Amino acid sequence: MKKILTKSLVWIGYLAVLLLLPQFFDSILAVSLFNQMAIAIVFALSYNMLLGQGGMLSFGHAVYFGLGGFLAVHALLLIEFETVYFSIVYIPLLAGLVGLLAALFIGSFSTRKAGTVFAMISLGIGELLAASSLIFVSFFGGEAGVSGDRTYGPPLFGVEFFQGIEIYYLAAAWVFVATLFMYLFTQTPAGRMANAVRDNPERAEFIGYSARRVRYISFCASGFFAGIAGGLYALNYEFVTEETLNAVTSGRVLLMAYIGGLGYFIGPILGAVILTLMNSLLSNYTDLWMLYLGILFLLTVLFLPKGFAGFIMMHRVAWLQRRIRKLVLPYLATAIPAMVFMATCVLMLELSHIEDESISVLNMELSASSSSTWLGLLLIASTSMLVTRRTLPALREAWESANHVADEPESKS
Amino acid sequence: MSILTLNNVHKHFGETPIICGVNLNIEEGERHAIIGPNGAGKSTLFHLISGKYPVTEGTISLRGQAIQNLPPYEIARRGLARSFQVTNIFPRLSVFENIRCGLLWKMGYGYSFWNLLGRQHDLNTAAHGILDQIGLSQRADYPAGELAYAQQRALELGIAIASGAEVIMLDEPVAGMSHSEAENAVALIRRVTEGKTLIMVEHDMSIVFGIADRISVLVYGELIACDTPSNIRSSEKVQEAYLGTVTADE
Repeated sequence: MKKILTKSLVWIGYLAVLLLLPQFFDSILAVSLFNQMAIAIVFALSYNMLLGQGGMLSFGHAVYFGLGGFLAVHALLLIEFETVYFSIVYIPLLAGLVGLLAALFIGSFSTRKAGTVFAMISLGIGELLAASSLIFVSFFGGEAGVSGDRTYGPPLFGVEFFQGIEIYYLAAAWVFVATLFMYLFTQTPAGRMANAVRDNPERAEFIGYSARRVRYISFCASGFFAGIAGGLYALNYEFVTEETLNAVTSGRVLLMAYIGGLGYFIGPILGAVILTLMNSLLSNYTDLWMLYLGILFLLTVLFLPKGFAGFIMMHRVAWLQRRIRKLVLPYLATAIPAMVFMATCVLMLELSHIEDESISVLNMELSASSSSTWLGLLLIASTSMLVTRRTLPALREAWESANHVADEPESKS
Repeated sequence: MSILTLNNVHKHFGETPIICGVNLNIEEGERHAIIGPNGAGKSTLFHLISGKYPVTEGTISLRGQAIQNLPPYEIARRGLARSFQVTNIFPRLSVFENIRCGLLWKMGYGYSFWNLLGRQHDLNTAAHGILDQIGLSQRADYPAGELAYAQQRALELGIAIASGAEVIMLDEPVAGMSHSEAENAVALIRRVTEGKTLIMVEHDMSIVFGIADRISVLVYGELIACDTPSNIRSSEKVQEAYLGTVTADE
């Protein structure tokens, strides 16, 4: 009973956050950011159905996202020219069905094997579709893409979707429903067998399940939800180009799921939020944001192989044992020099990027052409790195003692 | 009544014959052991029966129905379950989930994506029942990959019996265990295969002679004997094969 209550509370909290966010941040910029996050969350969760839950590494997941997006924008056009007449709130479902159809077809041959074979097929299909989208101009609009207008449909309760905030609430509703269904999928026989096949496809066959069939079902579900995300994208931007289904988009969703944490349901949500923030906020401040994104990915793979969600979950035991407070000081001792180190590195990168200008930091003019600047920065960087390394063993020790569980007596078998 | 029949089964890997015309009848409820020197083809024979490899020639039938060259999941659905020589579990799933996955097909869930596992009372009770039987209830929530070796073997056996199969095939179930672990494992095997047909490959002769009703001796892909333990023990042919004399070649 208690478990069910906690779970419902988590879902209610999730819904509340989705609904209340624009109450606190209501600038146009913030709302457009929330829209992007909403889309990214559905897309990243759908990707994790493949990689995290089903063990299928796809380099072409944007195919289903993009096809959903194109269908949605064509649906907007049909509404605009009064060929059909229905509210745009259903468009994400249509887009999802297109994603599902595409997945039904492509999955019928690509899910035969997981691993490299699957990855290569996904890459091939992705490239194939991206290339054809530039060839079949009537549907994909060539390089210019296709644009529509979401305000022509019949208003829903008087809402005509002129504003970003209205689209946000529509997206939030879809995100909530999609997240809920994707979570429920993990709790069904098909969802659990997807985990089993990920772990050990051979064994799965010997307990009565065709590994291929299990993968196919996950694959189709994943395509469906990616299509929904694509539909939301089209409603938000009212404009879809080849970029939505090419390798860049496929790569981005992989990064989101990975950085967030593949092993946890919440991981891709975190990843989608973090990457969207980086994407839109960082790009306002620096031209180098792609570089930082790459560095973040590298650092995640190297030091947090289970992603941010995994990092948070590493502290579960300490939390349950009420020892999390003992970690605060060791973390600060490591984090402060580490942050100084990173900030210095960023400064050096930015300085070398802007070349002969100067940057003012903490009321100091740092000139890229003066060697004393560079020497100073290098000194700070190396010192802070040394300090960071020095503090690491203490942090590790603190973590281990906080997470240590005394063996229960019955565990000695 | 014979439950599993092998009729003139051959298996070649390329030009190399591994199994050369095996005929074998296994009676319902029998405990049958397959022994033989290393490389005799015991595991290959298991793989042929359970569908991991296609046969080159011959027929295998389960309850009179031909099963040769069916995919493993079809054979499993017809009531034949097996374990593996190398531990073969779902390492990242919990111990409980491992067993529950083993139960799913038999209990009719198929590829369902509309039933929530948490709500399936019968399924979960059955899974806990099997955990009790194999003595892993205390470990139900552990990731299976973190169990000790002997516990992983017990889990593997649990997955096999969860399917409710009438024919259980165990490939070296006690290999790599200490003496006391092996004793426990044998007791467990006896307990959980009660009333079922058991076919096992095993190297430890004391275990084989203790558990089997009948023993087949496989040497270089041919069955040279199939008899009761006492007859096998006294058979000269078997003695020769086991002492390493290459007499089975002619």
